[in-house]
Amino acid sequence: MKEQHKIGDEDHKKKEPFYAGQGRILEMIAASAPLEDILARIVVLMEAQADGLRCSILLLSNDGKHVRHGAAPSLPEAYAKAVDGLPIGPRAGSCGTSMYLRKPVVVTDVLTDPLWADYRDLAKGCGLRACWSTPILSSRGDVLGSFAMYRQESRGPNAEEMRLAKAATQIASIAIERQQDHVMLREREARISLVAESADLAFWVLYPEQNTAWMSEKGRAMYGFTLQEPLTAVSLMSRIHPDEQAAVRAAFEQAQASQQTFEIEHRIVPPYGKTRWVIVRGRCLWDEHGNVLEIIGVTIDVSAQKHSDLQLQLQREELAHLSRIALIGEMTASLGHELNQPLTAIANNAAAARRFFDRGQIDSEILKQLLGDIAAASHRAGEVINVIRGLARKGKSTRILLNLNALIADTLRLVHSDILIRETTIVTEFDPGLPDVQAAPVQIQQVLLNLIMNALDAVSELSPAQRRIVLSTRRENGPCAEVSVRDFGPGLPVDGSDKVFDHFFSTKAEGMGMGLTIARSIVESHSGTLGAEDAEGGGARFFFRLPAAQGLLVSEAA
Amino acid sequence: VGVSARSEKAAVCVVDDDPLVLNSLQLLLASDGIAARSFNNAETFLAHIQMHPVALVVLDIWMERMTGLEVLARLCTLSPQTRAIVVTARDDLAVRATAMARGPVAFFIKPFNDEKFLAAVHDALDPATKS
Repeated sequence: MKEQHKIGDEDHKKKEPFYAGQGRILEMIAASAPLEDILARIVVLMEAQADGLRCSILLLSNDGKHVRHGAAPSLPEAYAKAVDGLPIGPRAGSCGTSMYLRKPVVVTDVLTDPLWADYRDLAKGCGLRACWSTPILSSRGDVLGSFAMYRQESRGPNAEEMRLAKAATQIASIAIERQQDHVMLREREARISLVAESADLAFWVLYPEQNTAWMSEKGRAMYGFTLQEPLTAVSLMSRIHPDEQAAVRAAFEQAQASQQTFEIEHRIVPPYGKTRWVIVRGRCLWDEHGNVLEIIGVTIDVSAQKHSDLQLQLQREELAHLSRIALIGEMTASLGHELNQPLTAIANNAAAARRFFDRGQIDSEILKQLLGDIAAASHRAGEVINVIRGLARKGKSTRILLNLNALIADTLRLVHSDILIRETTIVTEFDPGLPDVQAAPVQIQQVLLNLIMNALDAVSELSPAQRRIVLSTRRENGPCAEVSVRDFGPGLPVDGSDKVFDHFFSTKAEGMGMGLTIARSIVESHSGTLGAEDAEGGGARFFFRLPAAQGLLVSEAA
Repeated sequence: VGVSARSEKAAVCVVDDDPLVLNSLQLLLASDGIAARSFNNAETFLAHIQMHPVALVVLDIWMERMTGLEVLARLCTLSPQTRAIVVTARDDLAVRATAMARGPVAFFIKPFNDEKFLAAVHDALDPATKS
C-alpha cells in the first residue's frame, strides 16, 4: 500500500489519483458495467501512473487457444485488430507466450527477441520497443488474459511498474471473472427456463421475512399475475383454491421447520382462465444462523394428467355401475321374490279387511293384526327397494367402517331366493375376530354378489345334493380381513387362473363376463387383493383381502 | 273319505315359510268364513296330514329345506284326495308343469286377485257347486 502511494506521489503527470481510480473501477465492477469499459478504465488508470507508458489487456478466447481484443485505448486500432484472434503459444509475442506459459514474460526489445519473430513488423509500425506481459489469472488459477505494458525504449520494468502490473491484473481478474459468472448464470437461467417452459414448470422463490416473492414468467402466467404485479404471501394465497388453502399453508409452515423437500397437490384458481391442478415442490434455505432465507420451489401443472385420472375414475365407476345393473338382472328371482312376498301379504290383508267389513264382522283384534301386518310388510318392501336403489345408484359411494361378517349375512339374505331356487346349500364360517375394514358397502356387496353368483353358476351342473358353497371369513396377517367363497364345481379353467379376471372372459353362456374384472378393480381401489385358486378337494376358491381399518375399533355397520 | 273331509274343521291348510304371507293367507280365508290351519314349513304339514284328513292345501313352492313340489309329490301317496292350490312368487313354466303333472292344481302368482283366489278355494272344496 505504501509503495503504491509512492507511485502516485512520484508521478507529476498523473491524470487521476491511483486509489480514487481503483475505487471507481471497483464500483463499475460492482454495478456490472460492460467489461470492455472496465478494462479500458484499468488501462487508462495504469498509463496515468507513468510517463510514456502504454498498456493493453488481451483476453483468452473460450477455446483457450487464441487471444481476443480486450482494451488498448492508447494503441493504434490497426494493432489491436491485428492481434485479435492470434494463437497463443511458446513463441507468440509477449502476451500470447505469457498466457501460454502462465507467467510474466519480459521482452526488453521486440526487434531482437525471438518471441516476437512473427510480429516484429507489427510492433515496429506502432513504435513499440519493450513489451512486458503479465498473465491475468482467475481465483481458481485459470488464465483469463494478459496485461501488457509497452515502452518506446528498450528496457525492463522497474519495481513500480511491476507493482502496477500486479495491481492491474488483480483488478482485471475480478472484472473478467465476474463477467464470466454473469454470462454463465444467464446461460444457466436460460437453460433452466427452457426446460421449465417445456415441462410446464414454474419457478418461484418466497422470502417469508420480507413478505415478497419472485416468480418466473411462466409461473406468473400460471398463477394469473401480470409481469409487474408485486407478489406477497397474501396475493399468492388468493390464487389457491379455498378448499386447499389450509393444507398449503400448513405445508409451507412445516417446510420452515424441516430440512426436507415438501410436496403438495392443490388447485390454482387464477382471476381469469381455468382452474388448474398443480403439484408444488419446495425446500427451505437458511443462513448460517438458522434464519429462514427463502423457500425455493417449482410448481408443476398436472391438469392434463389429473383430467385423464378423473376420466379413468369416471369410466371405472361407470363400468362398476353397469356391472351392478347386470347383477340386479341376474338376481331377478331373489329381488322379485323379496318384493312379491310383502306385496302379497299387503294385498291379502287389505282384501281380508274389506271382506270382514262386508260381512259386518269387525273384530278389532283381527283388524289390529291386519293393519300391523300391512305396516310390517310395507316396511319390508321398502327395505328391498332401498337395496335395489343402492345397487342401481350411480356415482361413488362413501367409505365407512364395515364389518364384513354382517355385510355377508345381509348379502345372503338378498340372494336367499336364488339360492333356494338353485337348490344350493350355502355354509357360512365366520371368524368372530375379523377386523373391521374401511370400505364402501355397496361396492363390497357388489364384489360379494359377483362371487356368490359365480359360485352358484359353478355348482349348477351338479346334482342338488352336491351343490355346496362355503362362505368363510378370517383374520389374516397384515392385518387384514379375508373373505373366501369356495364352490365344489369344476374348478378354474386349466389355462391359468388369472384369466377369469380378464375382460369379457366368461365360461358362461350368458352374462357380460366382466363381473369378476370389476370386482377385482373394486377390491384394488380399496387397497386390497382379489384372487382365485383351485381348492383342495375340488372346486374353486375365490378370495379377497382388505386391509384392516387402522386406529378405529368401533364398527358403524353391524 | 275324501268327500266328507271338507266338512271337517281345519280341513284347509296353508303352508308358507314366510310368516307375513302365511298370516295373510289364513286371514284372507277367515274373512271368507274358512278356518284354515297354518304351517310355516313342509315337514310339519306332512306329519299333520298323516294324522288328519285335509281337503285343501294352499302351498308355497320355494321354501327352505323342502320345496312345494316335493310336498305335492308326497301328497300323491300320503293323501291323494287332498286338493292343492299353489301360490308362488315366481312364474316358472317348469314349476307350473311339474305341479300340474301331479294333479289338478290351481296356480297363483303372488300377489294375486283375492276374488279369483277365493273362488278357486271354493271350487276345490266343492267342485260340484261351481258358480
